[in-house]
Amino acid sequence: MFLYYLRISMHSMKRNPLLSGLMIVAIALGIGVSMTTITVYYLMSADPIPQKSSQLFAVQLDSWGINHPFDRDRPERAPHQLTYRDATALVAAKKAKHQVAMFESTLIVEPEKDKPYLSMLRVTSSDFFPMFQVPFLYGAGWTANDDERASQVVVLSKETNEKLFGGENSVGRRLRMGAKEFVVSGVMDTWNPTPRFYDVINGGFNEVADMMIPLSLTEPMELKSAGSDWGWKAESINSFKDWLNSESAWMQFWVELEDSMAVDDYKNFLDAYVTEQKELGRFERPLNNHLQSVMQWMAHNQVVREDNKVLVGLSVLFLLVCVLSAVALLLTHFLGKSEEVALRRALGANRLSIFGQHLVEVSLTGVIGGALGVLFALGGLQAIKYLYSGQGFDHLVQLDIFLVLFAAVLAWLASLLAGFYPSWKLCQESPAGFLKTQ
Amino acid sequence: MEFRPILNALKRRKTGAILVALQVAITLAIVINAIFIIGVRSEKIGRDTGMDVNNIFTVSVRGFGPNFNVVESIKQDLRMIRSMPGVVSATISNHIPLSGSGSGTGLRTVPDLTIESTGTARYRFSEHGIETLGVNISHGRNFKANEVEFVEADSNPPTPPGILVTQALADSLFPEGGALGKQVFWGDMSESTIIGIIEKMHGSWVGWDKLEHVVIQPGKPAYQRNRYIIRTEPGERDRLMLEVEEKLSANSPNKIIQRVRSLEEHAARSYQRDRAMSIILVSVIVLLLVITGLVFLGLASFNVKQRTKQIGTRRALGATKTDIVRYFMLENWIITTGGAILGIVLTVGLAYWLETEYSLPRLNFIYIPVGVAILWVLGQLAAYMPARRAATISPAIATRTV
Repeated sequence: MFLYYLRISMHSMKRNPLLSGLMIVAIALGIGVSMTTITVYYLMSADPIPQKSSQLFAVQLDSWGINHPFDRDRPERAPHQLTYRDATALVAAKKAKHQVAMFESTLIVEPEKDKPYLSMLRVTSSDFFPMFQVPFLYGAGWTANDDERASQVVVLSKETNEKLFGGENSVGRRLRMGAKEFVVSGVMDTWNPTPRFYDVINGGFNEVADMMIPLSLTEPMELKSAGSDWGWKAESINSFKDWLNSESAWMQFWVELEDSMAVDDYKNFLDAYVTEQKELGRFERPLNNHLQSVMQWMAHNQVVREDNKVLVGLSVLFLLVCVLSAVALLLTHFLGKSEEVALRRALGANRLSIFGQHLVEVSLTGVIGGALGVLFALGGLQAIKYLYSGQGFDHLVQLDIFLVLFAAVLAWLASLLAGFYPSWKLCQESPAGFLKTQ
Repeated sequence: MEFRPILNALKRRKTGAILVALQVAITLAIVINAIFIIGVRSEKIGRDTGMDVNNIFTVSVRGFGPNFNVVESIKQDLRMIRSMPGVVSATISNHIPLSGSGSGTGLRTVPDLTIESTGTARYRFSEHGIETLGVNISHGRNFKANEVEFVEADSNPPTPPGILVTQALADSLFPEGGALGKQVFWGDMSESTIIGIIEKMHGSWVGWDKLEHVVIQPGKPAYQRNRYIIRTEPGERDRLMLEVEEKLSANSPNKIIQRVRSLEEHAARSYQRDRAMSIILVSVIVLLLVITGLVFLGLASFNVKQRTKQIGTRRALGATKTDIVRYFMLENWIITTGGAILGIVLTVGLAYWLETEYSLPRLNFIYIPVGVAILWVLGQLAAYMPARRAATISPAIATRTV
């Protein structure tokens, strides 16, 4: 029966190619535009580490001044980064299952054969790798022991390993950076958490750094932050040590806590730490410390940009316009079929089968339109990639199976929604009315 | 003329007409709000920066190795750059305006920390900075060469004796005027005197509402990374960008030359999201109008085909070709206008949602008639072709099947 309906449908579409073609174009454009914006939104708002996003927490301490709220318009908001002093103290305290402090910096790399170049790197502690489940191609991250001794070890990204060592297993090889000899401890496999949740402050969609080195090298190598730093206090800074001891906040700090009890305990620990610091004359503001899970942190820092939300809203309206177009076109199209339907009714087809047949026809339009729409969306996403080049959108413009299925269902639903009323209207016709004029 | 018959005809196919009107209404709401957003973004991108944006480029140099002497390197580089034909002026700087990267601070007019400070971008240039950026000092004077010294990293620079501020910053600090010669206080309560006022200059962050707040301290920053700003004769920029990069890398094995970038490109990067949003919205508007136009066209064509006999009859009864064309155009106009009336309500509703839910400014109502006019024109254009075809139907058709 279904195949028979399908055959009639194709026949009917061929008989009125203009209206059928327009309907397909309308559905295709609606799906194309809305899928383009929805894809970007969906990937922007995705959970970057679903296995444990509820166990990872960004830490905020309100270290600002009594007359200097971090955000003057919303004084309840704490700064989103920590000072070097506090971050290293919290790492040393080891009160959580894992804890990691970090920042972005740059170093001059001097490869043996090639010209020296400036490399972006993340300066962090050994917990980074197990905590964020970083996949390794060769070797592993460095150990807590390396953290303590400030070993000159480095973890390379896959691309950097290809650039420097031709992609081979480079564990144990030497690399000259910042006028020091480093030893490669591991090479990461492709790893691109999207969004780059652990440092959304310095670009939520940026690439993972070229390499990583131990945080304890900050002082001996005088590494400066290449990311944003925030300060409120005028301090006399005459040396690198002064800078490290200053109230400038330029470090991200994360902890892993397994359950709500651990969260409460850690929160209490933070409050106790700040209370202790208050006695040293720091932390002038009332206690305002926060632990935010990965998804809370994404929302807090508005990782999904407002523009992208507005675009999703507008493109859903766009799809609605397309559906309305399709309804209007279908009504007109079916209007021209009254005679044929009357004939079929007279020959014994009941209302339900007429209705069903037309829904099949409408679905066929939806499927063709949807398929075309997915192609449009692919084009749209390429355009988005081009428009936002350099903004880390490359990982935000990929259609996955789920999105393609979503598009198919959306197209089908849109066409059914469009076809329901016209089909129903059509099968209300009485057989006699139209046969008369024959 | 024939409003009544058209309305009667529409009444008989009211569902179709209502659907098209509804489509017009939503199209209008999207188009007007999108045009408005594009307008706001274009205005933002097109603001006057106060600088000679087209003829400026920047280079970032980072030295390394034990034999590298920052101060000597800066002196040597600038001497070389300034000697190149086509270069108007060059300076060392701590940051690049419009680049999105910069340094900010707060200034006060009284030495009292409890009083809220006025936020501003902060730059450190040599006496060549003003000419290099092409900004205009409207009151007071520029730095003198003997007021500008090298400032090394990690040291608190001596508080500058005199500073330059933009007119916008001067107005915020001293609303009653007369900022020139006044004292201002930094966060550490040290003070500086305003020796000159810059007519207009944009700072580093184009999304900041205090973009025009800029304070300039005298000094040649000798940090890890040295940023040079270079202004060229008109038309010489692109050639010099290549030559400067080449020359800088040629005579310095212990330097890494980075980011040779025009100020235009810095600005383009900073405004990239605004530009992308505008382009996406333009595409959405165009596609929307195409769809709506095609639907108008498709429905009108179908109607003409369906009503061939009626049209023939009307022609036979004495209607002129113009009457027929006018009939279809008027029909379209009635549907479009009906949709537009509802559309204006939807437009205001959508604008309200965007304004309250997101940080969009309030819709300027001047965009409403613009949107309505666009849809009128579109509707009339789409209706015209089928209407012309209808007009060619011969009166004889009416007699044929009778």
